[in-house]
Amino acid sequence: MTILVLTLLGPLLAALAMFTLRRMPEVLALTGAVFGFAGALGLFVAVSDGVVVSISLPFLPDFPIRLVASPLTATLSMVVATVAAMVLIYAAGYMRKDPERVRFFGTMLLFVTAMQALVLSGDWITLLAAWEMMGFASYLLIGFWYGRAGVASAAMRAFLYTRSADSGLYIGVFILIGMSGTSEIAVTLISTGTPTLVAGVLLLVAAMGKSAQVPLQDWLMRAMAGPTPVSALLHSATLVAAGAILLIRTAPMLPDGVLLVVGIVGGITAVITGLIALAERDLKRLLAASTGSQYGLMLVAIGAGAPIAALLHLIAHAAIKSSLFLGAGVFQHDRDGTGLETLAGAGRARPGIFAGFAIAALALAGIPPLAAFFSKDAIIAAALDSTAAPWLLPLALAGSVLTGAYMGRALNVLWDGDAGPVQVPVPLMTIGMGILVALATGLGLGFGALEHMLGAEIEKPGWIVPAMGLAVGLAGLILGWFVPPARLLGPLLTPAQNGFAVAGGMDGLILRPALAIAANCEAMEQRLLRAQVGTVRRIGLGTAQLAEHADAALFAFSLWVGQLSMRLGLASKFTDTNGIDAAIFGFVQRMIAAGAQARRLQSGFIHRELALTAIGIALIVAGLLAAPYYS
Amino acid sequence: MPLLTLATFLPILGGLALIVLPNRSARVAHGMSIAVTGVVFMLTLVIWSRGTIAGGFAQIEELAWIPAIGAAYRLGLDGLSLPLVLLTSLLFFLSAIYSARISDRAPSYVVLMLMLETAALGTFMALDGLLFYVFFEVSLVGMYFMIAGWGYEDRQRAALMFFIYTLLGSLPLLLAIIGLYLSSGTFDMRVWIDMPPLTGIAAMLALIAMLFTFAVKIPAFPVHTWLPAAHVQAPTAGSVILAGVMLKFGTYGLVRFALQMTPEAFAQAGQVILAVGVVSALYGAFAALAQSDLKKMIAYTSINHMGYVVMGVAVAALTVDLRIRTIALDGATLQMVSHGLVTGALFFLLGMLQDRAHSRDMSEFGGLLGRVPWLGWSFILMAFASLGLPGLAHFPAEFQVFLATLNTAPWAIIAILAIVVTAGLYLRAIAAVFLGSENEKWLEMRDLDRREKLVIVPLLILTVLVGVAPSWLINMIHTTMESLSF
Repeated sequence: MTILVLTLLGPLLAALAMFTLRRMPEVLALTGAVFGFAGALGLFVAVSDGVVVSISLPFLPDFPIRLVASPLTATLSMVVATVAAMVLIYAAGYMRKDPERVRFFGTMLLFVTAMQALVLSGDWITLLAAWEMMGFASYLLIGFWYGRAGVASAAMRAFLYTRSADSGLYIGVFILIGMSGTSEIAVTLISTGTPTLVAGVLLLVAAMGKSAQVPLQDWLMRAMAGPTPVSALLHSATLVAAGAILLIRTAPMLPDGVLLVVGIVGGITAVITGLIALAERDLKRLLAASTGSQYGLMLVAIGAGAPIAALLHLIAHAAIKSSLFLGAGVFQHDRDGTGLETLAGAGRARPGIFAGFAIAALALAGIPPLAAFFSKDAIIAAALDSTAAPWLLPLALAGSVLTGAYMGRALNVLWDGDAGPVQVPVPLMTIGMGILVALATGLGLGFGALEHMLGAEIEKPGWIVPAMGLAVGLAGLILGWFVPPARLLGPLLTPAQNGFAVAGGMDGLILRPALAIAANCEAMEQRLLRAQVGTVRRIGLGTAQLAEHADAALFAFSLWVGQLSMRLGLASKFTDTNGIDAAIFGFVQRMIAAGAQARRLQSGFIHRELALTAIGIALIVAGLLAAPYYS
Repeated sequence: MPLLTLATFLPILGGLALIVLPNRSARVAHGMSIAVTGVVFMLTLVIWSRGTIAGGFAQIEELAWIPAIGAAYRLGLDGLSLPLVLLTSLLFFLSAIYSARISDRAPSYVVLMLMLETAALGTFMALDGLLFYVFFEVSLVGMYFMIAGWGYEDRQRAALMFFIYTLLGSLPLLLAIIGLYLSSGTFDMRVWIDMPPLTGIAAMLALIAMLFTFAVKIPAFPVHTWLPAAHVQAPTAGSVILAGVMLKFGTYGLVRFALQMTPEAFAQAGQVILAVGVVSALYGAFAALAQSDLKKMIAYTSINHMGYVVMGVAVAALTVDLRIRTIALDGATLQMVSHGLVTGALFFLLGMLQDRAHSRDMSEFGGLLGRVPWLGWSFILMAFASLGLPGLAHFPAEFQVFLATLNTAPWAIIAILAIVVTAGLYLRAIAAVFLGSENEKWLEMRDLDRREKLVIVPLLILTVLVGVAPSWLINMIHTTMESLSF
């Protein structure tokens, strides 16, 4: 239990200490990361012995917060803690000159805490809360350099896209809790029937938003406005991973129909974002699009009924993608930009970093014996075995070819060009990246043991699957290295460069209609106001005339209304054609002129109002006292 | 010790003392204001420590008043009113601290504020129909003068509109109270709750009358139009009290009167009331999105948030599942408190911004975050609280309301669209005011001073506390709601 808490409190307390002390951000960040890592490691060791660690804290009546470390969640927690620690080491170098390091590292740690809470969540409320907290933290991180042009809108877009999709998670969670009467995830996973189907679809929508699946892919490329370590963390083990993690965890519950949709959405995304990546003219945006396509492949695996294959790819991708981003960040520092033209030859100037970047790129393309070779084979094997193989297999293979192609292109650009001057060493950045590259290289060897621990061993496929995987990967790499994207993509180049925005993309489909509705509401507001003021005025004037001609008894009866009608009656004398505004201002001016001083008028008024109120109440009381006689 | 009476009348006594005091400088007036509201806040904490009981009212203080008609001075508390009492005393205390810079007719201002506090506390604690109505109306008078006397450029018009609107609005409630009295022979609200005296068509008419009054106060679509006008023109503390405390008169009345005293009619009209809540929530969100005046924008989000409360209460009346009913009422009540904390803080912050810039239009600003980090980060945190971010005050409340709604009347979950719209409008406001390149006009803007931090920090802490660990607050609500009779 203590280790479970440590995993979360390590980074959280470090963040709070940082915001309080406002000094030594790097030291505190690494301390927090180390404690978080120790906690995650402890959990991992504990659950590998078959122990389930859980904790429950009070939150809402009947709905406590639950954190659970099972083999699956502890593994994910381990991935998060490892990548986070390495990225933080790297960031200590990368952010060396930034004056706002406290804010940067503090927010990063909050982000890591939220992600740990998400992967370890044992109930839907914790998961939902962590899910949205991560959106908030990423908003702050993407918007870190908020003074720069375009940054605010990129941060806003990231939050809005994911929040729109999150409403799916909200409703899905409400359905699941309503059905089973508890918020415990493990219990809701055994539910079946139509509500489960609806909930499954809604969860898919939420996952598509977070994992940037078509058609919600656009925000991810723009999110590159943030510092590079943020991208590394966001894309590998945290924000984007949350969508796939949600589906991996809920896969046992999803009906076949939903699974098929998951697989097809993933397959289409793998291809579409693969094409976008190939057409990109900026290295970070290329890597971002690639993230979408890799998560698409994971969804294919889930859709094919092999969530474990998706998990393996998620782990491999976490190490690979963070390595790639960290490498890109080094080149970015050297060349002050990430445009592919700017970066031409940047790899030559730093052969060590380039080697690491290249290993990660080959790993992603699925070259043996690097990590993603194994996981990609598992995905292809699952797609082949699936009942939906005619759909899923071609999409998965096309996605793999494109993976090779855009990585080949990136390598070619970085290598092919003038090396430029020799660069200063970057020790911290090299350490952080180096360890992640090592993981990207060797992780695949541990997959067998992991499958055993999770109790879901994947059958080793025959020679045909690895051969297919290797063939498409190599083909892609060669194409990408030698053939320029304009020729490779042909007529698809322009739509790919525009990010395949359907019907004006999110702007056209959601933003503009929302603003149009808002404008209509505002117009309605004005009409409503005019109508109400007009009605009140007419009623008031009518009552005032009535009161003038009525006798004293009637006057007493309508004293309450009279208070108002006298005002409006007075006001009406000043109304010619000027309408209510002039009436009110005339009335007010008259009142001000009538009073000797504003202060006296004000205080005198209180008394009069109170007196009127008192008289009114007295009359009512009198009426009530008389009630027995007339009722 | 009759603490409830003491807490209720201490403010007005303080105000009267100020009137007879020989020295009525601004300093003395504000000193008095802070001292009195501070003591009242302490008193309500003691009242809290005394606790409530399940299934009825606690800490009852009763005095004969007009025995002939069964009207008596009766005060008491349950898990619905106690959180609102605490919220009220806190917001008045903070308003008193914030207002200490007001030099224009300070004694009158302080007297009005203190009178308002008495009226607000009385409204939440009254257990007598007549007494409730008196407090309810007195608050109206106080707020009228607050806006007319210390508001902004167009204050007279806004004040008059506020006054006429809510005065006309509260008349039907009086009729309903008379109706309840005539059929029961007493003004004791406990009797009205335990044995609802009206049935059939009479109950429905009374319900309609009460709904009209409370809909104006809440405010719900389409009788909300007074709110943006009043908020824009009201002085900062006036806005805080109006949004934080006085809107809750409406939602409190909705539960205490409409739901508890005419329960059958309420259940019959449940779908309509739910629809009003849904429309208010969506309409408020979209109307807020169309605003560029920051105060007006926050005012419209109040309509949105109060719409969720209406939804929660309507769902509680509609459902047959006792568990869902409790969840809905828990959520609705918690939402009232959260809204008071969050929107109160947002109006304070906008007031601080307006004090500095004398402008409320978001297009006038830009890039302020680096210039005024305290103001900026406080606003960002509170904006995210207002858009329902987990870990902050609105999330637990809205979660419960939506959960109950989906499992009772699934169509009404459409209101959840509003959480996306509010996210959009707050992010837009944050981007326009605090992010982007710095507007050269405000290079000299200073950050929050000590007094201002003193006002904001308690609200920040409470917002996080309610969001992360709401049980200290919700357990008190839950105990009452589980056994709420209607």
